[in-house]
Amino acid sequence: MDLDKQNANPTILNPSDLPSRRRESIGKRRNDSGTGLFDGLIPRYNYLNDPFEQSALSSDSEDEEFENIDEQEIYDLISSISDPEHPLSLGSLAVVNLPDIHIQPPTSPFSSISTVLVEITPTITHCSLATVIGLGVRVRLEQALPPRFRIDVRIKKGTHSTDEAVNKQLGDKERVAAALENGTLMGVIRKMLSTCE
Amino acid sequence: MSDIQQYLLDYDRNKNEASATAQKSATRLSEGNLKLLTLIEELGEYLNSEDGATRSKTMAFLAEVLALVPPKVLSLQQRNLLCEFLLSRTEDNEGLGSCAKGLIALEERGKWDAGTVQNIIETLLANTTPLKAHSKQSDRYSVLRLVDILVAKYRDALHDLHESSSDFLSRFIAYFDGEKDPRNLMMVFSILKVPMTEWSIGADAQDLFEAVFNYFPITFRPPPNDPYGITAQDLKDRLRECIASSSEFAPYAFPALLEKLDTQHANTKHDVLQTIISAATEYGPRTMSLYSITLWDALKYEVLSSPPPPEDSLAEEALEGLAAIARTLSRGTEGPLNAYLKPIIKECNEHLEDAPTKQSQAAASILHKIATVSPEVINALLAGVLPRLFTLYQAAETMAKRRGLLEVFVQLIKADIEVYGDWRSVGTAGEQSGSNALIQLREQALGTLLSGLETAPVSGVSFRLVCLDGLVQLSKTRGLLTDEDIGKIIQLLHNIVINEQSFGKDETKEAAINGLVEVAHQKPQVVIDKAFPAFMAQLPDTDADGAQGHLTVLEAFAKFANEEKVFNTVMLRLKNKFSSAVSQNASSAYIVALLSAMLYAFSRGVNKLEQNSQSMYYEDIALPLLKRTSSTDASHPKAFDDATTLDLVGRICNMAVKSQVAEHQQEIADQLFVLFRDTPQSELPPFNLNASSELNKTMVVSTHLLASLRKETRLPCEIELLISSLANYTQQTSLSPPVRSASLRQLSLVINKFYTASELKTCLDPLINAPFELFNPEKLDPLRIRLVFACLKGILLRSSPVLAKLYPPLLEFLSHPKYGTIVAHGFSTLLQPDDLLTKENYCQISGLHKQKSFALLVPNITESFRQASPETKSNYLIALSGVLKWMPFDIIMEEVDKLVLLLLQSLDLKGEDLVKEATVATLTSTLTERSNVLEEHVGSLITRLLANSVAGGEMSAPPRVRAAALKCLALVPDQLKLEVVLPYRRQVCKKLTPALDDRKREVRTAAVKCRARWLEVDEVEDDD
Repeated sequence: MDLDKQNANPTILNPSDLPSRRRESIGKRRNDSGTGLFDGLIPRYNYLNDPFEQSALSSDSEDEEFENIDEQEIYDLISSISDPEHPLSLGSLAVVNLPDIHIQPPTSPFSSISTVLVEITPTITHCSLATVIGLGVRVRLEQALPPRFRIDVRIKKGTHSTDEAVNKQLGDKERVAAALENGTLMGVIRKMLSTCE
Repeated sequence: MSDIQQYLLDYDRNKNEASATAQKSATRLSEGNLKLLTLIEELGEYLNSEDGATRSKTMAFLAEVLALVPPKVLSLQQRNLLCEFLLSRTEDNEGLGSCAKGLIALEERGKWDAGTVQNIIETLLANTTPLKAHSKQSDRYSVLRLVDILVAKYRDALHDLHESSSDFLSRFIAYFDGEKDPRNLMMVFSILKVPMTEWSIGADAQDLFEAVFNYFPITFRPPPNDPYGITAQDLKDRLRECIASSSEFAPYAFPALLEKLDTQHANTKHDVLQTIISAATEYGPRTMSLYSITLWDALKYEVLSSPPPPEDSLAEEALEGLAAIARTLSRGTEGPLNAYLKPIIKECNEHLEDAPTKQSQAAASILHKIATVSPEVINALLAGVLPRLFTLYQAAETMAKRRGLLEVFVQLIKADIEVYGDWRSVGTAGEQSGSNALIQLREQALGTLLSGLETAPVSGVSFRLVCLDGLVQLSKTRGLLTDEDIGKIIQLLHNIVINEQSFGKDETKEAAINGLVEVAHQKPQVVIDKAFPAFMAQLPDTDADGAQGHLTVLEAFAKFANEEKVFNTVMLRLKNKFSSAVSQNASSAYIVALLSAMLYAFSRGVNKLEQNSQSMYYEDIALPLLKRTSSTDASHPKAFDDATTLDLVGRICNMAVKSQVAEHQQEIADQLFVLFRDTPQSELPPFNLNASSELNKTMVVSTHLLASLRKETRLPCEIELLISSLANYTQQTSLSPPVRSASLRQLSLVINKFYTASELKTCLDPLINAPFELFNPEKLDPLRIRLVFACLKGILLRSSPVLAKLYPPLLEFLSHPKYGTIVAHGFSTLLQPDDLLTKENYCQISGLHKQKSFALLVPNITESFRQASPETKSNYLIALSGVLKWMPFDIIMEEVDKLVLLLLQSLDLKGEDLVKEATVATLTSTLTERSNVLEEHVGSLITRLLANSVAGGEMSAPPRVRAAALKCLALVPDQLKLEVVLPYRRQVCKKLTPALDDRKREVRTAAVKCRARWLEVDEVEDDD
């Protein structure tokens, strides 16, 4: 079985080197520069807090704060998809890369449609599974993003021997829809998406 | 009627009566009332019967009688005659099992000589080969038991037979051919293992091997309710032992096993690999030297082509096999071992060329696994791999490649430590760190790793982490580096912790401090000498000049307390730093940070302390802190006027006092409220209701001291006085919330710890009676509500029977027009985990207190809910969710069907976000543990969860509730039946779309997962 693999020995990125959301952007960066090591010293259910005076979970202002969908979030959605050949994620194989994800804001003030452009890099230039990977990324994003996003998945220019043909296929709505009717193909894609977090 | 007639009559009708008849004959024989000859003669007629079944039953009778005859009744001569007789009967196919049983019974009654044994086995082989021709499994089993007894007890006799008769072994092997029953096979394997291990098997080796290997791999699956309880694993283990039992099998075993390795079946692969491990371990160095390279070629493939371990257990077993070969060869001469290692080194070096790849990772696992085997192996591998590795490293163009190479190197150092040990313990090779081949390469290794870590940019996280790991491993290796070199490593690490810019998730900094702690475990003094001054230099005596950034340094320094060898020094330095900070007017933030560091360090190290040093911490740390707290002069820092700071102080003192013996604690108990002031106790809170707010604040510290006291200590005043004083004290409206909370908690602590069980029943009476009238609805107000719950909290942990009297009036309050809702919120405090009321603080906590409160509260709440007026109904829902919030689901489980409707209704409450969060948690547990009770409510469950998952919807739930509702909703398709869930799929997927665009990332993530799960719902149907 292994002999059929087109690339049996791919390069693997270390998890520490994969892009991830940094602490400061999750919430307010701690203003005392500490890491929060001492925060656990006082238990969360501290007796000094009067339980009768905390019926609300969080202040309204916190809820108001917008956390926009950004490139990193798109990356997190698709980097955990498995490669159809290896039990490895598209992120660790560098098939999807943060710099190759672009969110383009609506083109006119009257439109609410943004575009997500994802360019994927196959592990080898003649990889026939590139289309399947592209489809998997597409399906994942269609399931996970709100409808105000238009999704555009392409093979990165120059990384594949037939990138234009593959892009044509991935861009053609009818052909994508037809492909997704194919049970075997959907089976492969479902397996790829099963590792998504 | 003779006994045999009676026996034959009963045999099919009633087995027990038949056995009773046999017993009768046996008794008559032993009492001399029946002659053996007569018995046999009586059998004659039936033994010559045309009917096979009769002949078989007759033999069964004889076997039973013989088994029941007491020892020493039958003479040697009689036994020999019987033996001859039974053997002659083996010509008859019927009753073979009984013959064997009879012979076993005879053997139990007197040992056989070699001639008899040889006669028996030869007769069996002559008359009953092949055994499989006898269709009854139990007959074959009896014969096999007989043979097993022969090989177990009469080895020499059988061995002589083998020596003297050239074809005996081949006949013996053929005898068992074709056995299929698992119970019998277990026996066959164990019989054949004797010739395998003890006889010279020469020309019969192949037959003997094939006799067992024919069964490989075992695919047996035991039938349900198998009476013999034999598992596939039992068979596999015994078969594996057989195959590994003789090195003469090697020429047949290895080719056959490797052929079977070439399969897709994971189970077969596992069996093959485990068998290879056993064989490689048992066959010995000479045999293994012939096959080692063939095996390497086959096994390496399993490692190189599979996902990296530990995910793959096949690869792990293949590695184990490679190591087993190396281990066996290490027992032999140098030549074969080197011949085995040579292709391994060559191959691994090749994979290093294009690191980092899957295969370079595999090479690292191979090298690490094999290297741990022995000093000879690791030295050969280090010498064979490292020079090439360092050359490649120097020539490498990318950091990724360098990282890949160093990963391999680090694996080798780790193996090196396993073999040669670390500074504190010797490794598997014993004390011979002098012959470690790493010593020749240490300068180069150290230099490479040091400069790698030092010169790489901070963004090269994974590369630096590998360098760092390598340096920590080097400094641990027994007898490798000098203290001076280790000092260099320490210096580099503390520079990273202290001086480096923060980057990303700060993985490097964290690894550096953890590495320092690890080194401190091995070389405490070097760390104290090198790293501690650097840390201290970064911590100012005062931050009055506006110095910043000390918290990170302090956090890192406090982590050293995890290592017991340096704990005392850490505490001492922190204490001194704290004193100078106070005397030099440092900011409150700095003082709080120092106190936090002390508390952190203390909480890590305190359990490792011995008794005498603990009292030192009481004298050195707790007492001075207490005096600073209560003093009013310059020794009292401004920070100590803040309740949160005093909470920290209290916690530190609690830890120092807690472990003291009762008589030492008494000193603290006497000073509980006075805190070493000159003021009389009666003028201090809680006895003085007009104390200043400064005096009131010290109640926070008193609370922690009270928590630390053992039950046997004496309180500084009568307990009744203390209770009534505290009760009145907490009702002052002028009190700050923290001081009130602390004082209420004192009440809980006193009630829980210092009353006997019988006093507990009446302890609240003074408060319930006039003039206080705790349960008078007209006197109810928010402060009294807090008091009631504080008192109950102390009592309920002890599961006192008085709860049955105290809970009802409290539940009555839920319908109180003005304060019903506040009371309802109080219920969540009852069972809430508490950091002061704990067993470590000598509190009395009954194991069943949650069950008790559940039984007294929940049925009452659900009942009253039905009768409650519409405007107070929500109070019951809030109270219920508060009780359930902390209840283990096992307790709720039995009653959950009665609660589901109430739980669903509480999701409709507006503005009660905590209630909803708790309810969603309960529903989530219900889905996982008892999903069937939710089946009929699925529509209402889904609608309500959806309503709470959308921002700005009618529920306007906050993000945490939205995310929790989505997580719960995602469980629905997993836990409920497809036909129940399917009708809702379209609706759910549609209504989840807005949640994909939620303002909060946390909610969006939950929505994506939830929606992905629901989208799969009908696809599952396609598969079926």
